[in-house]
Parts: sequence; C-alpha cells; structure tokens
Amino acid sequence: MKRLFLVLLVLLIVALSVGKSVAADTLEEVKKKGVLVAGVKDSSPPFGFIDEKTREIVGYDIDFVKAIAKKLGVKLELKPVTSASRMPQLIEGNIDIIAATMTKTPERAKQIDFSYTYFLTGQKFITKKGTIKTLKDLDGKKIGTAKGSTSEQNAKKVLPNATILSFDDYPQAFLALQQGKVQAVTTDESILAGILAKAPNKSKFEIPNIQISDEPYGLGMRKGDTNFVNFVNKTLLGMEKSGEAKKIFDKWFGPNSQTPLKRNFKIKAE
Amino acid sequence: MLKYQFDWSVVTSGKYFYWLVSGVKVTLQLSFISIILSFLLGLLIAIMRMSNFKPIRWFSIGYLEFFRNTPLLVQIFFWYFGSYKILPEGINSWLNEHNFEFASAVIALTIYTSAFIAEDIRSGILSIPKEQMEAARSSGFSYLGSMRYIILPQAIRLTVPPLIGQFLNLAKNSSLAMTIGVAELTYQARQVESYTFKGFEAFTAATIVYLFLSLLITWLVSEYDKRFLKIIKG
Repeated sequence: MKRLFLVLLVLLIVALSVGKSVAADTLEEVKKKGVLVAGVKDSSPPFGFIDEKTREIVGYDIDFVKAIAKKLGVKLELKPVTSASRMPQLIEGNIDIIAATMTKTPERAKQIDFSYTYFLTGQKFITKKGTIKTLKDLDGKKIGTAKGSTSEQNAKKVLPNATILSFDDYPQAFLALQQGKVQAVTTDESILAGILAKAPNKSKFEIPNIQISDEPYGLGMRKGDTNFVNFVNKTLLGMEKSGEAKKIFDKWFGPNSQTPLKRNFKIKAE
Repeated sequence: MLKYQFDWSVVTSGKYFYWLVSGVKVTLQLSFISIILSFLLGLLIAIMRMSNFKPIRWFSIGYLEFFRNTPLLVQIFFWYFGSYKILPEGINSWLNEHNFEFASAVIALTIYTSAFIAEDIRSGILSIPKEQMEAARSSGFSYLGSMRYIILPQAIRLTVPPLIGQFLNLAKNSSLAMTIGVAELTYQARQVESYTFKGFEAFTAATIVYLFLSLLITWLVSEYDKRFLKIIKG
C-alpha cells in the first residue's frame, strides 16, 4: 500500500509540472531562428524518402517545404516523422510545419490548421495480381496499413468485417503482403504507386481500380497560427501561378517518373 | 500559449473505452502466457547450462548470449517476418490464417526473457553450497532428483527478487508487440489517439494500467513466495 501511495505521489508531481508554452507566431519565430523545421516522411516515396546516392531525404513534400523556406529566406531542417507522431510533434513545438502525406480531415482540422490542398489523391489497395476484383473480395480478409493514418479509419468504415493490421510504416505492411500475412495493403494511391515502383518483383502486384475515398493533402501548422498559415497559402498560390508547383509534380509523378499519375487538381484558394 | 482541453470521457466510456479494455485483455494474455513459458524455459536452460555434458552446456551458453544480446524488437521481427524464409509454404499459409501475430509475440517475449531468467536461476543455484549436492548424491538421489528436491527449492526462493524484475520487464516489453499489429494496450492507446487526438488521456490511462499490472505481478509473486516457499526455507 505504501508503495502504491508513493507511486501516485510521483505521478501527481509529474502531472503538475507538465505544460510548456509554444510561440504563437511561427512566422516571426522562424525568421528569428533562421531555420524552418519541417516534419517529413522518410520512407514514403515519392513524397519523402531517402535518396540512395546522396543519403538525403528528397521528394514531393520536401520540394514544397524547400520552396517555402526559400521564400522565407531561412534554412530548412528536415525531421522524419511517422503518421502517428507528426501531430503531437507539431503541437509540442518540435517542428514548425508538417509536410508528410497528410490528408485534411475535419477531425484533424480541430487540432491544427491546414494549408490549401497541394496534392490530391484517393485511397486504393495494392494486392497480389489477380486475387482481388471488387471491394467485396476484401471483406473478412486481413488488410495492412500504417498506424495513425486516415487509411486505417477509411478501411474500417468500408470493410467492417476485415481485420486491419496496422504496422509502423508502409514498407513493413508491404512486406506482410509479400509474405501473405495480409491480402492487401491500403493507403493513398500515390503512396501505393511509390511502393509498387520500388518493389523487387513488381509484376506480381497490382493496384485494382477500387477507390474508397478522396484524399486531399495539406501542410499542417499549429492552430491559430494565422500569419504563418496565410504566408504558406500565399506561397502555394504563387507556386501554382509561376508553374513551379506543376514542375514539382512532373518531377515526381510525370510520365517519365517511376510513379506516373495524372495531375487532376490545381492549387487554389479554398 | 496553446491551451490543452482535457477530456477524460474518451477513455472512461463509449467505444474508445472498449478499445482500451480489449487492449488490456490482450496485454494480460500476452504477459501471463509469456511469463509462465519463459519461467519454464528459463529453468530448463539454467539446468542445461550447469550440465556436465559439454554439447548441452555449449548450446545453452550460445542460446543465452544470443538472445540476451540482441534487441527484442529485432527478435520480434525475426519471428514474424524472418520465419517466413525458413518454414515451408504450407506451414506459412496455415500460420497466416491463424493469429500468427500474437504467436510470434509470445515466442519472442518468451525466448528473450527466458535467457535472463536462466541466468538469474543459475546464480541462485550457484549460491547453494555444492556440499548439498554432494550430500544428496551420496544419499542416493539422482542428479535431477537432487536438483528437484534439494537444490531448486532453495535456489528458486533466492531468485524471487530478480525474477520479479524480469516478469515486470516482460509485461512492459509486451508493448513492442504492437509493431507487428498485435492489438495490445499501447496499440489501442495509439489507436484512440489517432481517432480522437486525445493522446494525453489515452496514454495516461495506459500508463496507469501498466502500473497496476506491474504492482499486481509483484504482489502475486511475493504472495506465492510467502505462502509456498517460506515453508521450505524453515
């Protein structure tokens, strides 16, 4: 009993001492520091992944935060995050902006502010060739995805009888598919295309044309950080106008890229 | 200054509460099955480690050093993903249809912890004066018989405090099972966080459960110690 009491006492002290203030105006703060810290993915090609030659993180998301840092006239620091860690990292002030394949959802928008949509995709499945024709084929099966993603929640909604296995990141989920531990991996088509492009035996897998949701990506910033949000939105609109945004898209998703997709969206004020 | 609004209702009732409860259930199963298996396996390895027959001793030394000195996370991945390369196709697909995630987690936790337990038990056995073994043998007990009736009852009792430590580690290490999709407590807490963004509440609830689980294990083992093992000592 004494032990229990002591433990509770320590807990209480910790609970009381938690609480840290985060600067409200990131724009000013970043200019003062001279560095913009962006939370990015490092294993989601072609949005954020480690280049085999340079050992640096590159990708579609990275090019966008690069452009924002350039516009601000500050250095860019990339910090790898996962789907589950990115929002807490932002809210706690460890990063200034999230550029990590993040879908804009109403629930998330209660916690953080989003920029205009800078990428639009939809959620699909990757499966072993010829095993899945319709959504029905997947019900009651095991399906892999990554923790803390919207993919997990969407899949649960449309496939209530399926077992969703959430891994730490997509490469592990895909390994589970290769070994037959799951019958499909589900997430945004653009990420699946990236996984497929890097797969060692591409011809054995396919992405059937089953779309279960729209996934508009936004850059994430702290709630109520209006100056910074406005600045980022203005920069995004400028990039669309100057053609830079399209150039970045073509670099990663153009017809000659490893993951060719159609650009069926434009960055616009919402 | 950002204000954080606490909302404890997400973890005390409704759907998210049931997620956490189901996580607690899996954590309990994972912990108690692995505790029992790792104790039995640890006992076996400890006895093998002290055998006079060299190949058995060498095997157990290799086992100990290998499993004590590699990270548990790597071992979990090894049993879950790596076993695929070794096992024949038929067994693989059978395993995949069943709850192989849970089984790999139990295997990894059991083997990893058994290596530590074996060393603790061995040090307990070594602390019993070797004259006792000699006396037992000369009274007509076989080697295993003297172990079973003379040495182990005393050694296990001496091992109780470090064993509690290993069991507690095991219970907390079971959270690593979430990396292969076992829906235990930490997994569910994270799940609640990603649905509600109430991570602080979810993880506080999980922390309290781990705390009580640890106190429960400590209490159970020391009760067992008091009731059954004291008599032997007297």
